[in-house]
Amino acid sequence: MDRRALVQWLVATGGMAAFHRLSAHDVETIGRDVHRRVAQQVSESNTGADASDAQPARGRALNGHAAATVAAAAERIIPASDTPGATDARVTSFIDTMMTDWYSAAERDRFVRGLDELDERSRAQHGRVFVDVPVASQVTLLETVDAEVTALRTARGASANEHWFAMLKYLTVWGYCTSEAGMRRTLKSYPPPMRYDGAAPVRAS
Amino acid sequence: MSTPLVQARRANDYDAIVVGSGMTGGWAAKELTQQGLRTLVLEAGRPITPERDAVEHTAPFEMKFRGLGDRRTVEARQRTQRNSVSFDEMSHVFWTDDVDNPYSAPAGKPFDWFRARQVGGKSLIWGRQVYRMSDLDFEANAREGIAVDWPIRYRDIAQWYDHVERFIGISGKAEGIAHLPDSVFLKPMAMNVVEQHVQSRIAARYGRDRVMTIGRVAVLTESRPGRAACHYCGPCERGCTTRSYFSSVNATLPAARATGRMTLRPHSIVRSLIYDAGKHRVSGVRVIDAQTGQALEFTARVVFVCASAIESARLLLNSATPEFSTGLANSSDQVGRNIMDHIKWGGASGEFDGWTDRRVLGSRPNGIYVPRFRNIGTTRADFVRGYGFQGSANRSGWQNATRAPGIGLAFKRRLTALGPWSMTFNGYGEMLPNPANRATVHPTLVDKWGIPSLHIDCAWSANELAIHRDMSITAAEMLEASGARNVQPSTRGPSTPGNANHEMGTVRMGRDPKTSVLNQWNQSWDIPNLFVTDGGAMTSSGCQNPSLTYMALTARACRYAVEELKRRNL
Repeated sequence: MDRRALVQWLVATGGMAAFHRLSAHDVETIGRDVHRRVAQQVSESNTGADASDAQPARGRALNGHAAATVAAAAERIIPASDTPGATDARVTSFIDTMMTDWYSAAERDRFVRGLDELDERSRAQHGRVFVDVPVASQVTLLETVDAEVTALRTARGASANEHWFAMLKYLTVWGYCTSEAGMRRTLKSYPPPMRYDGAAPVRAS
Repeated sequence: MSTPLVQARRANDYDAIVVGSGMTGGWAAKELTQQGLRTLVLEAGRPITPERDAVEHTAPFEMKFRGLGDRRTVEARQRTQRNSVSFDEMSHVFWTDDVDNPYSAPAGKPFDWFRARQVGGKSLIWGRQVYRMSDLDFEANAREGIAVDWPIRYRDIAQWYDHVERFIGISGKAEGIAHLPDSVFLKPMAMNVVEQHVQSRIAARYGRDRVMTIGRVAVLTESRPGRAACHYCGPCERGCTTRSYFSSVNATLPAARATGRMTLRPHSIVRSLIYDAGKHRVSGVRVIDAQTGQALEFTARVVFVCASAIESARLLLNSATPEFSTGLANSSDQVGRNIMDHIKWGGASGEFDGWTDRRVLGSRPNGIYVPRFRNIGTTRADFVRGYGFQGSANRSGWQNATRAPGIGLAFKRRLTALGPWSMTFNGYGEMLPNPANRATVHPTLVDKWGIPSLHIDCAWSANELAIHRDMSITAAEMLEASGARNVQPSTRGPSTPGNANHEMGTVRMGRDPKTSVLNQWNQSWDIPNLFVTDGGAMTSSGCQNPSLTYMALTARACRYAVEELKRRNL
């Protein structure tokens, strides 16, 4: 929340407090909420590009190598340009959260086996694991897998979503488009406009 | 209002007790306290303070699962509640825990019983669409010989619609449609460019037969003291810091509190009503404190049950006495029967070429509405009653890219590319009352507090299924008439009963004590100081979103109860 929005919000809630003759407890709650939001704003502004994104904590689903593989592949799917890429958007951290706390063990294992399979292909073609080959080779490897998923989708429909690369792409796009960097700088969907326009011009992009 | 009704007696004694603090409990609290009654409002769940609990502005990147929800916890604890369209990663805290609050249904006949236990109840998470019923609805049962006749007509409730609407604030547009009477409106929300196009094409094709109007919604478009106009942030079901949409927390409960006559007691699960056989009255309620497990009793001169249709039926059934062995106030054997909802998942969508230089900005908590047009003037052979459509037009965004081919910069550009405009109509169809659609006390299943749970046996009839089929046909017709391409009638089967979150009818009003539970004043035929004013009272379902009618009936019943107290008839 920027300063202007914060001031507007304080004015709005302050006005309501007077009208509804809120109890002392309620007023105290508003006060705590303000502090929470301010603290959050400060912590957000102190968070730069996330250096820890490829170094997940112990007890996470993706170990160091798996996280590095996901980070490299996600950046190839959504590369940085004049707008942030997947790394800037901390997509690996989101994918690790999903693998650790959202997917079932079977789904997680299928995903991690897919990362191993990517390394095997990379070794077979280039003699090195995926993260150690040049970016151009990473792109070629992923384009091959992507084409396989597309063919699978044509043949089998939505069951293609279970393919490890379909999972990776889905999570990369979802994680990116719900990230602060992606929403603020690429999609320009945050902060929300706080008004409705049903005939707004489409920005040239 | 100074009145001899206000008499402090024992500590746990009040003029009135209201069971529930949601849509109708909030209205009962407001009306009874403003008319001078010292009122105890009992809420089973926790307290809610908008400044603390409303989380509508939480950004996706502030959520652990980015809006995908805590899947493992939800699958373990909220397998039914998650079926609601308003259930999400933030709003899930406003639904009950299905493990603590179990119920059963026959194999192969699921019923979605959406429940909310907190101050504000389901008024926090409702869809906010508000439409008056008319004599097309109030006369329907009598005209067709179905179930029992409503004991009221539109003229009996019209002024109470006015009364409720002035207080809650409804945005919408007057259309002068006889069977969907206009409300007291604030300025309407805007239609977007494609909705305006579809509206004009439907008008050109169907004239006054099929009308598309902006949704009538209990969301402020004009600020008033204490409540700000909507700022179009979107997810109302997460609460509203600016109190722009109507909920009991945002409006009625503060008004009741301002009288100084309301005592609101959260964490208070009403176990049963206390019946005084000597006086033929309810004397009060038995409560279990949800936090301590302590058993408590409260007494009052009049009791309003506003716990939501099925929960109110459960309370009556669980309050059986020697005099009322099948459930309190149930001499008619209608308590728990005639469950109605609205049938959904029929409709259609289609795409539009053009307007590629235009988009929607902001999130309008409202859509369009097409009032019922079937069985008005003419009569169909395949079903009685009818349905209305809700819907909207928009352009798809980055979600399409999650399954799209490609990687790299070209793929990244897809994230910001908008898809074509598409328009969707979703039907809401009337359900007929049927005594076989019924909730009964489960012989063994109990909730976390040991209170017997319900077994709910409810299914669509052939009439509802015919309505469901017709929805997809007429929705596709309107899209074709609007020039849409790739028109897709819905391929979904009928919705799960209960899924519209419009459950009603379980404590119905009527004209005869032998066939109905409540009289024309929402007053128990059997026990005169007992009122039920939530959706349970509905004699038929209409196809309109029903909360507005529940609220109007509540305000009307409160006025009657206060007058009867003054006349010393209760």
